[in-house]
Amino acid sequence: MNSMKLKTWHLLVAGLFLVCASCQSSGEDPGGEDIKFEVPVDYYKLDNGLKVILSPNTVSPTVVVGIYYNIGFRIEPRDRTGFAHLFEHMMFQGSENLGKGEFISLVNKNGGNLNGSTRFDFTNYFEIVPSHKLETFLWAEADRMKGLAITQDNLTNQQGVVKNEVKVNVLNQPYGGFPWLDMPQYANENWYNAHNFYGDLEDLDAATLEDVQDFFAKYYTPSNAALSVVGDFNVEEAKQWIEKYFGNIPGREPEPMPDISEPKQTEEKRFNKPDPLAPRPALALAYHMPARNTPEYYAMGLLDQILLQGNDSKLYQQLVQEKGFSAGVGGGINYLGNMFNYNGPMIWMFNLTHDDAVSPDSIIAVVDEVIAELQSEEGLNQEHLDIAMVKNRSGLYDLVSQTFGLGLLDLLCSFALFDDDPQRVNQLDEEFKKVDLELLRKTAREYLVPANRTILTTVPAPATPES
Amino acid sequence: MKLYKKYSFLILLSTFAFALQAQDKELPPEGGEPKNFQIPKPTTVELDNGMKLVMVDYGIVPKVQLQLIINAGAINEEEEEQGITSLLGNLLEEGTENYDGKSLSRAFAKMGGQLGVNGGLHNIGIGTTVLSEFGPQAIGLIAEVAQRPLLPESELDRLKNNYKRQLSVSRSQPQTIANQEFQKVIYGDHPYGRELPSDELIDSHTIDAIKQFFAEEVGAKRSTLYVVGKFNEKQIREAVEGQFSAWQAGKEKEYIPAEPNMNVDVELADRPNSPQATLRFGIPVPDPSHPDYVALEVMDDLLGGSFSSRITSNIREDKGYTYSPSSTITSNRYKSAIWYQAADVTIESTGDAMLEISREIDRIRSEAPTAEELDGIKNYMAGIFVLQNSTRGGIIGQLNQIDFHGLGEDYLNKRVQSIYDVSPEKIKEVAEKYLDPEKMFLMVVGDMKATEPQIEAWKKADKKFKKVVD
Repeated sequence: MNSMKLKTWHLLVAGLFLVCASCQSSGEDPGGEDIKFEVPVDYYKLDNGLKVILSPNTVSPTVVVGIYYNIGFRIEPRDRTGFAHLFEHMMFQGSENLGKGEFISLVNKNGGNLNGSTRFDFTNYFEIVPSHKLETFLWAEADRMKGLAITQDNLTNQQGVVKNEVKVNVLNQPYGGFPWLDMPQYANENWYNAHNFYGDLEDLDAATLEDVQDFFAKYYTPSNAALSVVGDFNVEEAKQWIEKYFGNIPGREPEPMPDISEPKQTEEKRFNKPDPLAPRPALALAYHMPARNTPEYYAMGLLDQILLQGNDSKLYQQLVQEKGFSAGVGGGINYLGNMFNYNGPMIWMFNLTHDDAVSPDSIIAVVDEVIAELQSEEGLNQEHLDIAMVKNRSGLYDLVSQTFGLGLLDLLCSFALFDDDPQRVNQLDEEFKKVDLELLRKTAREYLVPANRTILTTVPAPATPES
Repeated sequence: MKLYKKYSFLILLSTFAFALQAQDKELPPEGGEPKNFQIPKPTTVELDNGMKLVMVDYGIVPKVQLQLIINAGAINEEEEEQGITSLLGNLLEEGTENYDGKSLSRAFAKMGGQLGVNGGLHNIGIGTTVLSEFGPQAIGLIAEVAQRPLLPESELDRLKNNYKRQLSVSRSQPQTIANQEFQKVIYGDHPYGRELPSDELIDSHTIDAIKQFFAEEVGAKRSTLYVVGKFNEKQIREAVEGQFSAWQAGKEKEYIPAEPNMNVDVELADRPNSPQATLRFGIPVPDPSHPDYVALEVMDDLLGGSFSSRITSNIREDKGYTYSPSSTITSNRYKSAIWYQAADVTIESTGDAMLEISREIDRIRSEAPTAEELDGIKNYMAGIFVLQNSTRGGIIGQLNQIDFHGLGEDYLNKRVQSIYDVSPEKIKEVAEKYLDPEKMFLMVVGDMKATEPQIEAWKKADKKFKKVVD
């Protein structure tokens, strides 16, 4: 499926699904600083361990049904790079009651769309369908959670499809894996964080049907998954259907998690990766993030707003408007998602293309000046923090309303899987409000330093044997 | 006795196994009754100078999207002016009489938004999405950008340099190369057929030429401001009347229709050592205002335009030649449209993929689809229609498209019915009438050592194939 496409980290400014207590009716003046960020969250677990999060609203007569499995490409088998993603494709190839192609046509002929994606710490499957088809797709998702019925032909076919996916997105594209696929491999040391998660073509070819069954048995169990429904539906009715279709799936213990921690980086790292298809050089910088859910983590979210997000950001104004190095500088926390939907080591990164006449070092020098200013007492004031908070609040609204409710579903499932607490979606704004200027400076001084970063350059040149 | 017992047990087992096999699979539950879908209802206000304000109350998140669409763009450029609209779009972000570039960006950021200006083929778009409480204020800023921009010469060299860098990246992407060549062959000298502007041409544009283009082409009469999301209607209306009433009326919009033509049947572009061939195979078809257009759209979704379509099922889900094949009807050309199939296929399978595409085109022209297959596609399109009208941006896109093609106010209300009215025979009819493979153009970007012999073979095999069918 259309997973891991380049630049999926861009926020899609799409549908509107946030339920906000103080702005339900039209006509009256909505908005205001004190708007409560409130989403209905009904959270419970089935006896077999399946986590369920329901969040109704009546914006549009549609529902999003999504299942998140707690298995990302990070922890795929060591001799099978790209396998978590290849496996994702296999989930569309047939189950007990739906043959090959039937899942997809069932969604389409009922007026819906579907997809799946493989990320650092989860693999998800979702359908956006008319409300009255909710029961149909709870049944269909339960059917493939029970087991797969696939053949060697199906596997061979999808190995072909996935290899073509890698070719169209990476191998036949200028800047194909730069920096989203490349940088984690340079910035990280632990194999789990530092391997090619799209997969080497040989590893993809080596996958067997036994691998597929083994992977399913290890990770695709109810107790290793979160099911969520967001949209226009009746909660009690949905609970009955969920019990009916998922309740009898036997619970199994999932595979224990390996150690995915990263050693602390102590020296700046620098790499160059030539790209024979690229017409201009490019540069990316990545800094290791503070641990998830710490005060510094929220501070990094706001530093990202101040430094990188929007045309008012400091890096945009210096690198683009003042120096004219590039037309834009893009980046953020987690290029394959956002700062909330991962569960392990992560980098904050940005990248730009530039001209041959400009050296990477001259760009890095300007970056260092901008960051040094932030770290100083005078360089950061209350107005910076206020604007960052407004941008952040606006961005959270976009996030929860993204893609017909899928954005909200993504947060609910991530928080259920990683924190056993989907209510966190309603506490984010409060967490950001706790950040003050002192914490921002402390975080910038501790994390935005050369010893914590990796520099990756790419130049328009043929690959050398060593690289 | 023993023997007998064992025998019967075996019989029993095999009967049971047989029964299991013969038993139908569990069928998906049907679901309930469809809920009502409220098609967005726009409120339109026209100012004395001809500018239109279109407001749609939508959603519950306290944000509002404001998009000023000025119907002037690259289509209005003379050949030597090519690139001016794009530079103008970038310059418009660089400040107004009251705000320099940086303070303009900061003003939008304080409202939780960002200014986005795009100088495109038909329109210059000036827009933002802000927290609802700032809607009227954002209108004031958009009005400044549209009416009193600085267009500072000091930024021009930097923006030209950016533009040239971006174009050099575009030229290195196989999909852009394929699209460009495809448009060039079909649209020839019309602005739609132009190649990307050269560095020399971009360098030749002066600030005076850009200012002159702005003064001549940008005005109220050819502009619409869309406001979609949560907002106070009275405040928005007052802000628009206050900020835009004095805007110069300017010219009416002026789009020159293109005459599509083709004098080449196959073109190969070399991309040495490429692991894939990038394909574009298509033909001009009637535009969205034509009575056959809806049937063409349904035919397209059935043939290659949806995930469960025939071509995708064939070359992806059966053969594994490609990852993201898709057929499309371009509906973003004035009074003109093109149907085409696009795919990036493994280079060794270029000829085989083309053969399968030809086979599917031939099949849809030879026999009407079953009612069941067609109903599935119609349901899909009806569902997608709901989704298209379930985002702020989607609503603006739909309304702008209706305006662009002159489809009439009733279009949205009739849309679903017109999809369901298409019969299986009509699908075959429009495919036969409009998708003549003899007149189609094929563009292939890939390693020519590999693609050339395969395309030669395809051309021969294709002809043989057609004879068999005839």
